[in-house]
Amino acid sequence: MALGGGAMNRPSARDLAPGPRCFVFAMLSLALMYFDQRDGWGERIRYGLAAVAYPIQVTIGSPGRMWAATREYFRSRSELREENRHLREQGRELALRAMRLEALEAENLRLRGLHEALPPLVERSRIVNVVNADLGRLRQRLIIDAGENDGLYRSQAVIDARGLMGQLARVGPWSGEVMLITDPEAAVPVEVVRSGVRSIAVGTGAADELELPLLPATADVRAGDLLVTSGLGGVFPPGIPVGTVTESRRDPDELLAVVRARPAAAIDSSRQLMMLWFSRSHPSAPASPEVLGALPEAPVAQPVTRPPEAH
Amino acid sequence: MYTAATRESPLLVWITVLIALVLTLLPLPEWLAALWPNLVLLTVLYWSTMAPAAGGMLVGFVAGLAFDVLSGAQLGQHALAFSLLTYGAIKLHLLTRAKPLFEQAIFVLLALLAYEALLWAIDGVSDRGTGGWARWMHVPVGAILWPVVVGLLGRLHAPR
Repeated sequence: MALGGGAMNRPSARDLAPGPRCFVFAMLSLALMYFDQRDGWGERIRYGLAAVAYPIQVTIGSPGRMWAATREYFRSRSELREENRHLREQGRELALRAMRLEALEAENLRLRGLHEALPPLVERSRIVNVVNADLGRLRQRLIIDAGENDGLYRSQAVIDARGLMGQLARVGPWSGEVMLITDPEAAVPVEVVRSGVRSIAVGTGAADELELPLLPATADVRAGDLLVTSGLGGVFPPGIPVGTVTESRRDPDELLAVVRARPAAAIDSSRQLMMLWFSRSHPSAPASPEVLGALPEAPVAQPVTRPPEAH
Repeated sequence: MYTAATRESPLLVWITVLIALVLTLLPLPEWLAALWPNLVLLTVLYWSTMAPAAGGMLVGFVAGLAFDVLSGAQLGQHALAFSLLTYGAIKLHLLTRAKPLFEQAIFVLLALLAYEALLWAIDGVSDRGTGGWARWMHVPVGAILWPVVVGLLGRLHAPR
């Protein structure tokens, strides 16, 4: 029979009967599953595989990017002029706000008796592109086109122009996987700007909704309140906008309030994100990359209770 | 080019599986993603049935592993399910290959059902979210699409 033709002179996996071969592959799969549950090993295997898979990921994401590029190309002149005018206006407004902010910051330092200015919190930033998105009920993740070779580290904060997007969950050599704040596994320590109430915002699997499941019914939270990161947990610095409360309901039978919020960042439409590096000497900087890298996976899901040791 | 006497080129198998992989994982709107068939699995099943020598278990395992990495699932989960299904398809290929398309589609339905049940069980055991009914939607869709897959891939070679 033609099927067994090459068997005599070329020993390979093909020569095994389907039964034993299936056994080998099944064992290999089970071993992979076992190691993926353990910290460290699974990450190392994934690191290698992520490098191999990156070209495919780029291919998968390309129809969406092509569509966006085509639309951009065919935008009309008047549309562009309108956008230009809008941006110029926005730029003026932002410059004005920045000026006021600088004055306030100087005043704040003076009031606190600090004579020398602190180093800027954000030391460096870098724009990265989204190459692929996975926005399902069970996973809300983005793949970006930069990785360890660009200095990215695990648990690094990711923002867009409007607010917090999430954190880097996996880092490959040239790509990274961002766990969005709307991922069901994500949890962000937040603070209500108006009342200073602190809580945790968790993802729901929907790109336009966050939940605050741990607020007592007596907490001072109203619809319309702005949520910012509280800086607890050591992953995000304080003060990054997270979202706006859309619903705050109190059920007399329940101890906890039902609080929902809409993310400030354009979770499902941002194509460019910003990675942040923080200066270590700033008091409100999050933990250093070494500390975050040594933590078990998804450090935000279980907020760190002790301050990380200084390095 | 490939006559009945020659084997199917493994290269053809790998290329079609790669294309199917990309098509399967395209980012889609949520309602469409739920209905989207698992084209990689259908392609792997096709080659295991029609050309078990060219396809074989290695294709199944590698396709499953690639699926794991690209979809962010637990490593080895799809690799295991793909390997087992490929094994079943190769074992039964003499039986199923001769059947009319309609009966083949029923085999495919059962295979996809077993596949999703295995993934569901692994998700449950490893404490991951097992999802709602949406994850089962691709099973009937895949079975209905089987004749289309056979028609398309059948044009690329000369099925025996």
